[in-house]
Amino acid sequence: MGDYFSIERFLKLIPKIVPQLSVTFAIVIVSMVIGTLLALVVATLEIKKIPVLQQFLKVYVSYMRGTPLLVQMMVVYYGLPLLMQTIFKIDVNSWSPIVFVDIAFILNEGAFLGEIFRGAILSIPIEQTEAGYSIGMTGIQTFVRIILPQIIRSIIPAYGVDLIGVFHNTSLVFTIGGILDIMGKAKVLGTATGHTLDGYVVAALIYVLISLVLKIIFYRIDKKLVFERR
Amino acid sequence: MIEITGLKKSFGDNKVLKNINLKIEAGSVVSILGPSGSGKTTLLRCINFLERADEGNFQFGDQKINLKHVSKKEILSVRRKSGFVFQNYALFPHMTVLQNVMEGLVTVRKIPKAEACKKAEDTIKWVGLADRKDYYPSQLSGGQQQRVGIARAVALNPEVILFDEPTSALDPELVGETLDVIKKVAQTGITMIIVTHEMAFAERISDKVVFMDGGVVVEEGSPRDIFVNPKEERTQKFLSRFIQKDMYYI
Repeated sequence: MGDYFSIERFLKLIPKIVPQLSVTFAIVIVSMVIGTLLALVVATLEIKKIPVLQQFLKVYVSYMRGTPLLVQMMVVYYGLPLLMQTIFKIDVNSWSPIVFVDIAFILNEGAFLGEIFRGAILSIPIEQTEAGYSIGMTGIQTFVRIILPQIIRSIIPAYGVDLIGVFHNTSLVFTIGGILDIMGKAKVLGTATGHTLDGYVVAALIYVLISLVLKIIFYRIDKKLVFERR
Repeated sequence: MIEITGLKKSFGDNKVLKNINLKIEAGSVVSILGPSGSGKTTLLRCINFLERADEGNFQFGDQKINLKHVSKKEILSVRRKSGFVFQNYALFPHMTVLQNVMEGLVTVRKIPKAEACKKAEDTIKWVGLADRKDYYPSQLSGGQQQRVGIARAVALNPEVILFDEPTSALDPELVGETLDVIKKVAQTGITMIIVTHEMAFAERISDKVVFMDGGVVVEEGSPRDIFVNPKEERTQKFLSRFIQKDMYYI
């Protein structure tokens, strides 16, 4: 055991790996922010049931939910340059690998969060919209004042779970273009020192701690926002 | 004040309203009665454009609307002059009683918050729920929720309030308190159109009773005309179950 893992090496690795959290966080933030916007569009369009577009969205969602994220990342990383080259004659090979990862994550989130949003929107009774109209509100006022707050309240738990999922999924990004997130850094250090386990334990600890913090934050928000039920 | 002429409405092949003509005087209380599926709720919803009539003419005060080509602006203008009380209350669950009643005053009428709050509090007190103003709808009984629904409509000082079976979703012991509040609204002199199954109540409160069946107005008249001397056979048949019960109230 002694040779596989030592507390000394473990402690030494912490300051080397922790700074790479910025890379991980950047991916999480970009994919959550833009992914949420994309998901809102996806959910709204799905509910409107526009012919052709509806079928396209169905294929998109089932592809995103039916294939592993790792595969989706590979397809974007190797497929997008080809696509851009062939159709738009744009050479994107110089783009940072992070951009491809972000795109893959955003597309993935658009589908996953989109389904969450769609369910939340559909769960709000039509009378709520009518009640808004009946007191003289416009469609936009009704959405902003009546529907949206109810949607937000109902998706908070699922959104939190999804965010933690995205955070964990970032552990796949080092497979692309050698991105040094915490997982990538742990792997590189393990290879360099010949002691693989230490770095991964550090990474595992970081994942656990931050997941816990996120979980607590969302639990608190949920507690605070949920209006009295029953 | 409100005049409907030649109103027609179908859902697909199902003709729900066939040529409705109805006149409602300012300040009057009009009850619409009829069996389920007679189109009375649909008619009420058409008046507030929660349902779009297929054709017909609609006059609200001095505003004339062709129902076939109605604009968003016209719809909004009618809705801002009218209130609607829903069968299942349809309160905003994420807002307290006070916020529910304030919402229209602040967001639609653009009344300053302090003033809106005062007005809302007065209305809530008026429906007898002063001690519940900071509760959420889910913490109230059905009767209390419906009273909030009425307060929400009344606070906006509409010219007419439309009641869609306001007591149908309530437990029998809660119907009374709600009817009392509706009666209070009627006493303010506001124009009211009530779709209801509470025959005794309709008889006592209404200036005019409209009996609908199969998408047409079968008969209309004073409560006495309809309840005591109904001319049409369909009205007689429908009311036969209630007339005797009603006699106890008179």
